[in-house]
Amino acid sequence: MRRPIIGITTYVDQATWGVWRDLPTTFVPHDYTEAVTQAGGRPVLIPPHEDTDILTVLDGLVLAGGPDVSPELYGADPEPLTVTRPGRDRAEMLLVRRALDLDVPVLGVCRGMQLMVVASGGSLHQHLPDVLGHEKHRPAPAVYGEHDASFVPGSRIAALMGDDLAIRCFHHQGVADAGKLTVTGRAEDGLAEAVEDASRRFALGVQWHPEVIRDERLFGALVAAAR
Amino acid sequence: MRRPLIGMTAYAQQVQYGSNDLVAGMLPMTYVRAVHAVGGRAVLITPDDPGTDVIDSLDGIVFSGGGDIDPAYWGAERHPATEVDKERDESEIMLMRAALEADLPLLGVCRGLQVMAVVGGGTLHQHLPDIIGHDRHRAASGTDPLAADASAYGRHDVITEPGSIAHRLIGAHSTVNSFHHQAVDDPGSFTATGWCPDDRVIEIIEDPAHAYAVGVQWHPERTADLRFFAALVEAAAKRSGLKPQAFAA
Repeated sequence: MRRPIIGITTYVDQATWGVWRDLPTTFVPHDYTEAVTQAGGRPVLIPPHEDTDILTVLDGLVLAGGPDVSPELYGADPEPLTVTRPGRDRAEMLLVRRALDLDVPVLGVCRGMQLMVVASGGSLHQHLPDVLGHEKHRPAPAVYGEHDASFVPGSRIAALMGDDLAIRCFHHQGVADAGKLTVTGRAEDGLAEAVEDASRRFALGVQWHPEVIRDERLFGALVAAAR
Repeated sequence: MRRPLIGMTAYAQQVQYGSNDLVAGMLPMTYVRAVHAVGGRAVLITPDDPGTDVIDSLDGIVFSGGGDIDPAYWGAERHPATEVDKERDESEIMLMRAALEADLPLLGVCRGLQVMAVVGGGTLHQHLPDIIGHDRHRAASGTDPLAADASAYGRHDVITEPGSIAHRLIGAHSTVNSFHHQAVDDPGSFTATGWCPDDRVIEIIEDPAHAYAVGVQWHPERTADLRFFAALVEAAAKRSGLKPQAFAA
């Protein structure tokens, strides 16, 4: 039987691998494909393209992490520490809007969650340490900040997470205004960690990185919604 | 109407970008741009997955370049210069069988052509310099052998068999880039329809009984000549009742 096919958005950057140095490459961390496979889905990577008709073939969508979302998309000027990839933003904004319109199940991770927020009329903080006064959401390069989140009773994310509230974050931007989405999870400092749209089949964004532990609670729920 | 969806086999390996160093599913953007430029929609298929059911969702597939195939697949001992990629071998041999079985339009590029030959019951030369006495089929990585100021190293002619798909697509003769040290010895169930005239190394194989099953030993995705990609996307569109849509449209 065919497994649900789950598209994962990708990075496009100069990458060095094998004998190649700084070659324009499209890629996504292996953690994402492994998390989808382990949850029973069939991952495919979808490089940026203006085309969104691919959503008529996909059963579900993972919006992967990555660089900052262009502030122009939520009506702000870029701040000094904001690093963007406008081509990827353009393609992924079209994709997330169409996915929500078509009610294709969507899981947004980190940048992916922020894209969902911006596509839903919300806005972002461009550098959290300026707002929160601490660096607990990105403690050091390649170090995840570990938090216990709290979830809104009755929300999808509360049901999925159960009693284990530990999350692993790595981001310097965060949700300021969730727009039409509902904030259903927060860190100790009050920062939005989960957003949802309960009117959709499955539209969940998380600020942390569930793919790192192949979290079947979240990826399994996406795949189940995609069946 | 949607664009034909073209799967592309991808690498899963260690990648460095910026200050990051991680294992990633990945492919050079040249492949992606080639498919998009001729009206297809590219998706990457990583080798870390146990199944072939993705074939059912695709309109066509590209088997991409990469490392050497384990000679155990055609019953040979491993040459010292052979560097295999076990995960890709297992995944791509399985996908190639499934794609041929489903008659999914497919294009093999470099290693991809070699996967075709091996799955077709053929064999490879493991190190061309041993056979032909020179290494001119392997350009230095990162170079463009077709650039106007490039040396002839890594560039050569290809002649095609009259009446073949290759001949219909590119005519009797073309000049190509070259980045390989292995090559097809016996194409198995496929027919060789293009050669390097200098040393008779097989450069194109095909099976006209399929909707589109063509392999090329060079890298057309790194050139402006995308006729083999365009023919793949056309065959994919025809099979699925779609139309290729130009990237600019």
